[in-house]
Amino acid sequence: MQHRIVLVGLSHHTAPVEVRERVAFSNGHLEPALRGLLALPGVEEGVILSTCNRVEVLACGADAEQVAAGIPPFLSQLHGLGDDLLQTSLYVHHDREAVRHLFRVAASLDSMVVGEPQILGQLKEQYAVAAATGSSGRVLHRCFHKSFSVAKRIRSETGIAEKAVSVGSTAVELARDIFDGFGDKTALLIGAGTMGELCARQLMAQGTGSLMVANRTFERAIDVARELGGMPVPFEKLGRYLPLADLVIGAAAGDDFLVRRAQVEEAMRERRHRPMVLIDVAVPRCIDPSVHALDGVYTYDIDDLEGVIAENRGARATEAVRAEAIVDAEVDAFWRWFESLGVVPTIVALREKLEGIRQVEVERWLTALGPGCDPRQREGVERLTRSIVNKILHAPLTALRSHQSGESETFYVDAARSLFRLHGAPAGDETDDEG
Amino acid sequence: MEIVLLRGAAGLYLAATVAALMGIASIRRDFPHRLLMWLLGGGLLLHAVSILMRAVLVGHLPVANFGEGLSLLAALLVGLFLAVQLRGPLLALGAVIMPLAFGLTLAASVVKGGAQPLPDVLRSVWLPVHVLLALLGDAAFAIACSASILYLVQERRLKTHRGRGVLHGLPSLERLDSFSHNCLKWGLILLTLGIVSGIVWAHEAEWDSAWMADPKVLFTMLVWTLYVVLLQGRMTAGWRGRWAAQLTIAGFAAIVVSLVGVNLLGIGIHGKAY
Repeated sequence: MQHRIVLVGLSHHTAPVEVRERVAFSNGHLEPALRGLLALPGVEEGVILSTCNRVEVLACGADAEQVAAGIPPFLSQLHGLGDDLLQTSLYVHHDREAVRHLFRVAASLDSMVVGEPQILGQLKEQYAVAAATGSSGRVLHRCFHKSFSVAKRIRSETGIAEKAVSVGSTAVELARDIFDGFGDKTALLIGAGTMGELCARQLMAQGTGSLMVANRTFERAIDVARELGGMPVPFEKLGRYLPLADLVIGAAAGDDFLVRRAQVEEAMRERRHRPMVLIDVAVPRCIDPSVHALDGVYTYDIDDLEGVIAENRGARATEAVRAEAIVDAEVDAFWRWFESLGVVPTIVALREKLEGIRQVEVERWLTALGPGCDPRQREGVERLTRSIVNKILHAPLTALRSHQSGESETFYVDAARSLFRLHGAPAGDETDDEG
Repeated sequence: MEIVLLRGAAGLYLAATVAALMGIASIRRDFPHRLLMWLLGGGLLLHAVSILMRAVLVGHLPVANFGEGLSLLAALLVGLFLAVQLRGPLLALGAVIMPLAFGLTLAASVVKGGAQPLPDVLRSVWLPVHVLLALLGDAAFAIACSASILYLVQERRLKTHRGRGVLHGLPSLERLDSFSHNCLKWGLILLTLGIVSGIVWAHEAEWDSAWMADPKVLFTMLVWTLYVVLLQGRMTAGWRGRWAAQLTIAGFAAIVVSLVGVNLLGIGIHGKAY
């Protein structure tokens, strides 16, 4: 029997935040936990993933049942929880399913916001901790590196990460249809509340050239402007600053429109009709929606934004189907490699290799001899060479068989594979995964 | 053989049209675009060889009949489009340019008559200069027009607050607008040089002044005036966006009318050849 891969974990799909936060590992606690994991009976390799949405333990050992049984109590003890608290939240995946799960997590197919990019970074960090602690061995090493390359592949070959799903990034995405870039653009934020500040922050993160901040209480405008590297402007004189703004974020609710049609018309004249985008995230709205009818003026309200967000969620779901197909193919490839690690495939490969060499050499000898070789001679050579090969193979094969399912199985399989250069396990084969 | 090459080029342009449409609709931007560049390059190569063969056969720039003229115009259009892509990719334009190039090339391969001698009146070193400048100008206007068409499509979508849908790869309004503006400038420069070269040619050849009443000349002056007014409006009065795009398209429509009308009917000195 060969090594098995086991994944035990909980995520936002199975556990509420109250449970997740109690099981999560903070930075310094990961290393001792990894050492504790390795000390569990039957566990030979282990990596722990811990983010705000999931805690998962990936382990490798000869006896899958033993490994899987040891992890839940291990987690409960470590965090001082009752056994039954986790029982309902934990899921267990074996072998291919465990690998598939890891690949899906890395590619952000299992995330709350599918396609969000943070998860891969977190995975890399926590894998690095496991690698430094020495708790990840050959199988998990390859498994994780593969998961990184799968995530990269999915990111570049599907549109899963392309669509915005937050208000701020959606506003930017909408404005991108009108403006070529934001570097030479000026944004005007009206209303420096939480929502407004968030939007403005995302605009600045996209490289918007400059920012003006207007707020009813001027002090708040000053604070936010300083924080985001913008310029505070007086709320009463909005109209004067309007022509300077390429992008207006309206985030100040009020009884009346703060930006009126006449003001925008005047501003457009002053701007010589350079296009202007007004995004109204306030409820009730603070920008007169009729300005949308003006040439070169484009307005969006919160419903338009929500519509785009919903559409993008749908598009991400479609892309996710393509991503799953990639995951399937990659799991297959990984599994082919993984299965080649066992004793039996190694014995088969070893036999094939030597038999191949034998046949080539016999052919060469026969060709050199020319047609003057009679069948009896040929028969003799065949028998002789076969017998040599079998004698040579006898000791290594016996050694391999006797260590099958034993502690040192991996060691012997590895040794045999690299001594005889059997395909599927060239030395340092993991390096091709990560650039 | 030239006709076979020309049809091959037309086929590749048709494939490029499909690739450009895929580029607009697709979420993945890299694949159809690289494909498009290869199709364009391949098509242009076949096209250029075809024109070259005809040029060697007749011993001058092959513009002695309508088919040859169309073929040359299509090749210049594709060449200019490729050159523009090297400066900054805007492949979505291919969705308008490539069908046009395909249509022109196909038409050329259908109507292209056998090699015929150039009328004596046109035998001059000024022929290639005048024709190439004027046709390059037309090609630049065609590209400006294609950007303006995409501008109107994109603007309409934004004004009606519709999602991107299949128009995923359309460039931003700002990009299309400034691109169209740049093409107009280059088109006007080329057209002006083309007109000047025509005047010099007429002067050197000592034609009587009847050429000035040539319908093509009159039409071209009209188009030229329209573009000058448009550029002037853009630069001083802040004309931009939809209005500018509509005028750009109108200007190109006038060019098409003069091309088809004058050359098909065969009137005036321009009707004698392309």
